Parts: sequence; structure tokens; C-alpha cells
Amino acid sequence: MRELIEEIFVTALRNPFLDTSVDAVQLPHPEGQDLVVTTDGFTVSPLEFNGGNIGSLAIHGTVNDLAVSGAVPKYLTLSVFLEEGLEIKLLQRVIGACAEAARACGVVVVAGDTKVLGRGECDGIYLSVTGIGFRRRDIALGISQVQSGDRLIVSGTVGSHGAAVLLAREEFGFASDLASDAQSVFAQAQALLAVSGVRFMRDPTRGGLATVANEIARASGMTVHLSETLVPISDSVRSVCELLGFDPLYLACEGRLVAVVAESSSEAALAALRRVAPLAAVIGKVSAGQSRVILATRFGGQRLLDELEDDPLPRIC
Amino acid sequence: MTVQFTRKIKSRSAVKSRGPRGTSSAAVDTLRRTKNRPAKPFALLVPLSGPSGLEFARSIATLSVAEEAALLLSERPIVIVKRRAHLPIVDAVAPGLDELGIMLPYSPLLHLILDDFKGALVATSGNISGEPILSAPAEAELHLSPIASGFLHHDRSIARATDDSVVRVIAGRARLIRVGRGSGPIEMVLRRPLLMPTLAIGALQKNTIALAWGNRVAITPHVGDLTSLVGQETLLKTIADFESLYGVNAKRIAYDAHPGVRKTHLGDYGCLPSYRIWHHFAHASAIAGEFPSVEPMLCFTWDANGFGEDRTLWGGEALLGLPGDWVRVASFRPFPLLGGDLAGSQPWRSALGMCWEAGHEWSSEHDFGAPVLRAAYEHGINCPKTSAVGRLFDAAAAILGLCLTTSFSAQAAMRLEALCLPNLDFATAVELPLTLDESGVLRTDWEPLLPVLLDRSRSKTSRAQTFHASLALALCRQAIEIRRKTGVGIVGLGGGVFQNRVLTELIVRSLAQEGFLVRLPVKLPVNDAAISFGQIIELAASDQGRPRTHQFETMASVA
Repeated sequence: MRELIEEIFVTALRNPFLDTSVDAVQLPHPEGQDLVVTTDGFTVSPLEFNGGNIGSLAIHGTVNDLAVSGAVPKYLTLSVFLEEGLEIKLLQRVIGACAEAARACGVVVVAGDTKVLGRGECDGIYLSVTGIGFRRRDIALGISQVQSGDRLIVSGTVGSHGAAVLLAREEFGFASDLASDAQSVFAQAQALLAVSGVRFMRDPTRGGLATVANEIARASGMTVHLSETLVPISDSVRSVCELLGFDPLYLACEGRLVAVVAESSSEAALAALRRVAPLAAVIGKVSAGQSRVILATRFGGQRLLDELEDDPLPRIC
Repeated sequence: MTVQFTRKIKSRSAVKSRGPRGTSSAAVDTLRRTKNRPAKPFALLVPLSGPSGLEFARSIATLSVAEEAALLLSERPIVIVKRRAHLPIVDAVAPGLDELGIMLPYSPLLHLILDDFKGALVATSGNISGEPILSAPAEAELHLSPIASGFLHHDRSIARATDDSVVRVIAGRARLIRVGRGSGPIEMVLRRPLLMPTLAIGALQKNTIALAWGNRVAITPHVGDLTSLVGQETLLKTIADFESLYGVNAKRIAYDAHPGVRKTHLGDYGCLPSYRIWHHFAHASAIAGEFPSVEPMLCFTWDANGFGEDRTLWGGEALLGLPGDWVRVASFRPFPLLGGDLAGSQPWRSALGMCWEAGHEWSSEHDFGAPVLRAAYEHGINCPKTSAVGRLFDAAAAILGLCLTTSFSAQAAMRLEALCLPNLDFATAVELPLTLDESGVLRTDWEPLLPVLLDRSRSKTSRAQTFHASLALALCRQAIEIRRKTGVGIVGLGGGVFQNRVLTELIVRSLAQEGFLVRLPVKLPVNDAAISFGQIIELAASDQGRPRTHQFETMASVA
């Protein structure tokens, strides 16, 4: 088993820095840039879904956290927790997806570890990924930079990942044309960084667009206005949500970013972003006022977008 | 000026007057379209005519003595009455219903307009559907010009915009459906003073606010839904206005235990010490507050959903005890709401949920996306369970094909009730099994209703009657069983389901025949408008140091 795992990992992830015989690896870094580090754990059920699997998800998730920080992702470490009895073919597909995603993102896995847990001690596979990137010192992004009048831009349709994972649960047992949006947002982030006036970027993962909007409102102490008709949502996500009663604004994305840009830069930022993300759209703005998120609905009303409830319950009374 | 105004009305264009408002005849369709109100009944403003003043009203509706008295009340409420058949306009005004809301003129201007017009006018509030009334002339002209082709303003400004009061005669007495002009604020008296001024903000929808201090409680007219931004802003304004009106500043706040009510919605009031009150306990306490007693009572709290003590959705609960000390002793078999919140406006979801839960198939000509939904149901994805009777009504109306989706709340239940013939009895009822569940709560199983509802060889009227009669019988059987075990013979009825006249009158009559003392509210509506008052009563009980004694633990322990 041990050898098999080694073979799977080393073969798939091979690169000049990866050396299983050493305890620690030494890495070169560019002069005059800041080191940026992020770490994240990944669990998803099911492990594979239309548009990816937990392996590609982990690489994209980590790369995206670095990308929206304005960094160029370079190195990753990968810790894998496997449940005893896991199908080897599945593991190969997951690690293969890791390798493929890493190659596409221009990052390498430089260190790793594998632990095998007993049956029932974990749900198939858990991954823990640390990402290292480098950032130019002139990049000053941060939620504290957000100002009244700034515009919100999203880089494409929202909610596809959340909807695809939902429908991929094996119990649904039917093929869906809904694919996860999981991908690297590095090119999107870089396109925006070429424009001045970008204040802040984030990738809306768990809790979706509504949660990022709430984070911006909370941290800035201002009101975030979103317009329902401006938010790009694919027809298939919309119809799944209308059937199952989910709000696409709260569904996870894994290949989108939300940017806050100065009003004067919003057109240039949108144009730059659209070259790599054609469905990008300006979806709202920030204004002085109470710290909250207001959605202008497609019916002409307004409602508050609250922070995600753990256990959303019908309000009908 | 009123002559010009009525001429304009006669030319069938919509005209808004501030205070009174009117349109006529086929303009109703246009009004429905521009007001985005596809099906909700409009009220008719009818002229005062003849020696009794009621001649015109009698020509369009059959009126009981109690309904005539209600129409003539000085607050001039909208009274929901049986319409006469074959009146052309009525179908457009109240589609799918056998009743009409009518009111007599309440201001000199309305008298002038109606004297000149000599007919019934559709009267509707100057608001955008779902939003508060616009009372400033400039605001009204800005927002309502797509709806109204003319405006008649009054030179007095409106301090507090209020909807019309709505009443319905049930079991011989006029019962409030909506607290409004003339009927609110409602004042109630507590038997013992509160420890401190208390604010209660009621439920999430169809709301009122109660402010209580000493032994006084004042309850606002209908405030509206708290689920929209404008609703929340209206709530905060109403609280501030109400406090200044009475010169009382609340020192604590009570609100519904539903997790959707957030302190952040309450502005500065969110900083007050706060008390979450279970929705159905508040319903029961509102009844107990209107009919104070030291004797425990059994309150049936039937509505369309509320958050219950066990974190499931309640709405068919029988609560035994006294304020501050309610114990759930009976309920209904739970069933899933497919798609959660969406079930509120899509009764077919309740229907499909009931059918699947009982292993029945419901074939409808509509495609509900069943395979995906079925998978979601089997794995409990966004399919919360409810025991709400209001949702049983939705399901029944959907299965009968009356109403697959709704555009206003209670639409499905109202259409189902409209099919029933007067003076329903138990002859057509189906016995619903009553059993004790593992936690000691009596549960009525609705399952035997499904084959009846699905039986297309029976007329819709016959199926609707069986449905109503069976639920009434189920309630009586629960009451009798609980009285047998506890000796409690006082029964309260609370919750929006008891606005259904056919159901409620059969229940009241049958319970009385069985020797029960029945408490059906008169001063306050039975619906969620009473929740704010019930919340005050719950806190008043805790002020008296009445801890939960669990006098009646569960039916199992008293058995």
C-alpha cells in the first residue's frame, strides 16, 4: 500500500523540487517580493463531480487564495488523509487531477505527506494544502481599502460549483449538464491587477457571493448594494435552484472572483477582466450607510441578504 | 371636484384619491396588472343606501344580522360576506371565491363620491404590492402614476397611514382578520403589572407590534412583513412612533424564536435585553391573555408554519397549560416541505411531499421536475418537515387542482373553503388515526385523506367537504382524548387556520356539543397579528415568577 501510494504520488506530481528522501526542501524566491502563504483543508462529498474532483478543487482553492491576494502562486505542499479501503483507481484520479491542475496553474507540489486512517475515520479522502506565492511590494489590496462609491465586479456566473456538487451526490443518480466552475482565477486576478483602482479581491467559495458581500460590508462598515438582475447566473443553475429551493447567491463558486474597484476604474477593470472572463459583470456598489447587504430584486423590491444561516429554515408563518 | 372625479372613474380609468381610493368595473383587470396583484381579492366600497343604509350591500351579498351590524360599525371595516351569484364584476374582484369583502363609506369625501357614482367601487390602498401605504402626495404621484391615472389629494397630511380593518363573522361574531383603521391600536389589560416596559415585535409576516407597560398593552395595526428591507424599516419607524405616542420606552424586547429574526434587523432595539418566544406558545398565550383564567386550557394552534421547540416546523399543535407553561400534547404526522420556503407559494410542493411520505403517487399534468426533487426528498436536501395544518390545506387544494401556485398567502385554503356547502357536518368525515408517538405526543395521521383527495370520481366539493370535516373531527378527537386524561375542558383556538369559517364553525359547534368551553378570540385576530400580544403575555407570566412547572409533561406521563 505504502509503495503504491508513493508511486501514485511521486509519478503524478514529479518536479525538480520534490524529493521524498529529504525532511525539508529548500526553495528559491525572487528578490524584492513579499512571501505570501495560505493554507486550507479540503473535504467534499462526493469526491468526484461534474467538472472536477477533490484533487483539482484543492489545488484551485489554494491557488485562488494566493491569486486574489495579488500574489503569483509558486509552491504547494500536500497532505493527504486516506480512509482504509479506498479504491486505488479513485486515488489515482484524484492525484492525477491535482497534478494536472498544478501544471495548468504553473505551481509545483514541493512536499507532501500521506496518512491512512481506519475505516469510518474519514470520508474517503481529506486534503490539506499549503500554498506559497510571491507578491510585488507595490500591490496594496485589502478590504480596508474599500471606499464609498466603489463598484463590485464578479468574474462570471455564480453558484455553478455548489449546484454541481449538490447534483453529483451519487444518490441523485442521473447525469446533469451542470459542471462545476472550479478553475484557477490567477489569470482573472492578474488581468485586474494591470488596472489601477482595484481595492480588494476575493473568491466566493463557501457561502457564495452573498457571503463575500457580507464580509465586505462588515469589514468596511458600509452598505453593499447588489442588483439581482446584474448577477450572472446560468440557466441550469437557476432552474436547479428554483426546483430545490436554493438561493444561487449563497452557493459556492470555485473559479470566480469578486473584485471591489474604484468607480472611475470600473469600466477599464471590466474590459480587462472580460478578455479572460467574458461573462464578467459589474453587479453592485458600496455606499456609506449601515453595515449590511441590500439586494435589489428582479421584482423591483429590496431585501437584506443576511449572512449564511447554518440551517436555513422556511420563513413562511 | 368630486363630480369630475367620478366622471373619470366612470370612464373606467384608475383614479387614486388619498384616503378613499377607487376604480370601477372592467378596470379591475388593468388594476390587477399594474398593481402586480393577479388574484388577491379586492374590497368593494358600496354606497350607503335605503333606510337601513344596507340596500346596495344586500343586492350584491347575502348578509346575516351579525354581518350587517359589522358593516355599520363606526370603524367601517371591510366585512367578508357571501356574494350573490351571477354578478359579473365579482369574478374579477374575488376570483375563485364565493365571498366578497365589502365596506361602507367612512369619510364625507367617500359619501360624496359614492352618492354621485351610485355604484360599487373597487377600493385599494395606494401602495406598491407588498410595501407600505404611500401617504405623502408627492411620493404617491411618483410611485403610483403607472397604476393611477388621476390623484385626488386631501389638504390634511396623513400622520399614520393605516390599512382598512378586515372582519369576518365566524361562529356568530365578527372576528378581526386585519387590525386597521378604527380597530387599532388595540388596548388590552393585564391582570398584574409588568416588571418593566416591554416591546414585542410579533412574527415575521402579517405582523403587529405590542408595547406594554404597567398593566396596559397597546397593539399596533397591521405592520406588514418583516422579510423585506422596507418591512424592517417600517417596523423600526412604527416602534419609534408608537413609543412616542404613548411616552413609553421599552426596556426589553420579545420576538419570535425563528432563527430568521436577527438582532441586526432591530436597529438600536437589538441592544435591549431580548427574549425569544416560541411562535405557537405566543398563539396560545394570546388566547389566554384575551380570556384570562387560572385553569389550564388546551389551545389548538393551527397555522401555516412556525418554528417549534424541537427545531422543526410546527403548525398543527395542541398545547396544554397556561402562559409560560405550555406543553405540546398533540400534533399531526409530519411531512416534508419539498424545497423549503418555496412551499409557501407553491402548494404543489406540500401535495407531492405528503404523497411521497405516504407512498402514494400523485399524477398531475404538470411536470414538477420530479426525479431531481425525489432524490432531494429521499436524502433530506432542503425538505424540512412540518406538522402544519395550513400546509395540509395547501396540499389538498393542489391535489384538487384549485391552486398549484399562489400569489398571496392563504389563497389555496380560501379556494378550498369556497367549494364547501354551508352547515357542514361530520357525515362525510374520514376517521384519522390518533396514536401516541415515542415522545408522548398524540399524532393525528392525515394519510387516509389522500385516497379521498386523489379520487377523481368524486366531485371537488365532496372532496373539499370531506377534508374540512375530517380535520374538524380530528381536532375534536384530540380534545376529547386529552380531556379524558387530564380533565381539561377549556379549548382555545388560535392560528390563521381558524379564519376558515367552514372549519371553525363545525369545530366550535361540535366542541360545544361535547361540553367544552370554547375560546375563539374576538378582540384580536386569531392569525399572526396576535403573536405580539401573546409574546407580552408569555413575558408577563415569567414576571410573575411562574416557572415552567411541566404540570403536564406529555400525554405519556399523564396516561
